[in-house]
Amino acid sequence: MWTSFSYLVINLARQIRADERTFSGVNSTLPMLACLLAKRAYDFPFTYLNVSGGVNPLPSKIPHSSSDPLLNEGSASIFSNQDFYDLCARGGLDLVYLGCAQIDGRGRTNVSVIGNTLAPKVRLPGGGGAAVMLPTAKRVVTWRTEHSPRALVETLDFVTADGNMAALITPLAVFAREPRPGTRFRLVSRHPEATLANITARTGFRFDAGYVPVTPPPTERERAALASLDPDGAFAADVNPA
Amino acid sequence: MSLVSGLRAASYGVPFLPVAGIHGSDLPQANGWKKIADPYGSGQEVYVIPAIAPDVTVIHANEVDAEGNARVYGTPFWDHPLTRAAKRVLITAEKLVTTEHLARQPELTLVPGFLVEAVAIVPNGAWPGSMHPYYEIDYPAVERYVDESPGALERHMAEAPEVREMVNRK
Repeated sequence: MWTSFSYLVINLARQIRADERTFSGVNSTLPMLACLLAKRAYDFPFTYLNVSGGVNPLPSKIPHSSSDPLLNEGSASIFSNQDFYDLCARGGLDLVYLGCAQIDGRGRTNVSVIGNTLAPKVRLPGGGGAAVMLPTAKRVVTWRTEHSPRALVETLDFVTADGNMAALITPLAVFAREPRPGTRFRLVSRHPEATLANITARTGFRFDAGYVPVTPPPTERERAALASLDPDGAFAADVNPA
Repeated sequence: MSLVSGLRAASYGVPFLPVAGIHGSDLPQANGWKKIADPYGSGQEVYVIPAIAPDVTVIHANEVDAEGNARVYGTPFWDHPLTRAAKRVLITAEKLVTTEHLARQPELTLVPGFLVEAVAIVPNGAWPGSMHPYYEIDYPAVERYVDESPGALERHMAEAPEVREMVNRK
């Protein structure tokens, strides 16, 4: 059965497609685990690029930070910041994982400020390239470990980035949208214990939902790959409720 | 520099790029280059070079693995922007090496394999030019190449390493 942690990582991994170029950046431990899980659990090839400059790395141990140099181990090249930003800008990245503090129903993100722009209640870390990557990557996927009306909002406090958002994964649900202007998220599947009413109550933005199936359970290979990446449960403990 | 600005524009995913200098040259008129005022108000005008995305870039590398990861020793000249700006990238190389060999010093890999469409192993492939540190330029061969007398080009072509290798194989 799912935990919040396994639901997030495995559903992030399920966004990866064969033969595509996939990128995960800073402060992105869950997407890092998703990319490493996909390499172990899925039979298709894909290019996994990371912010440390690694290309299809085979790290000897799994780092806590998604920008750790361990993510270069086994890589035959270093494809570092200038290269991966430029690759994205010229349309050469298929799937990019980008984090968010707030997200709206159109897939726009806020990683800049909560509250007033000039006198913010909280100053956030900033986009880290999001304003360039969200519109230029072919598909962007984001995640929140907190599924709440303050994170999933109808109106952002500040629009850091707008563009080709394709999916939002939370511990309760998988939302998706066509990555083109004017589209909104629809609820495509849900955690088996989350009802539509519960998800709606905890989501600040309006979304489309017809019949919403339960997310397919983790496969044996997905489960085994995740266990191999987190043998002592340290990553899971950061996400799962105590 | 203006050529490289065009290559950089393509590799950065922008339609054009500013370049320093150029003022006073006939090149803008010959090439149709435009200049624009600094939109931030410095009062300077700057020439902008349109993006140049080669249909194909071919570079000759020292070492390449079966996945197309290519290492260049010595100076890479413009290999970096050329391989990033191009729609397709082909690699010729002196030596086929293992991925494990390249992974021991991945920062020496100039072109990652996922950008490369095809690879050919061509020993002495830079001839009559040089390939540091394996061989130097062959000036007598260059002189024979620039000779415009009848048959000179055919003799040059017959001397080429890949042709000699084919003859040796027969």
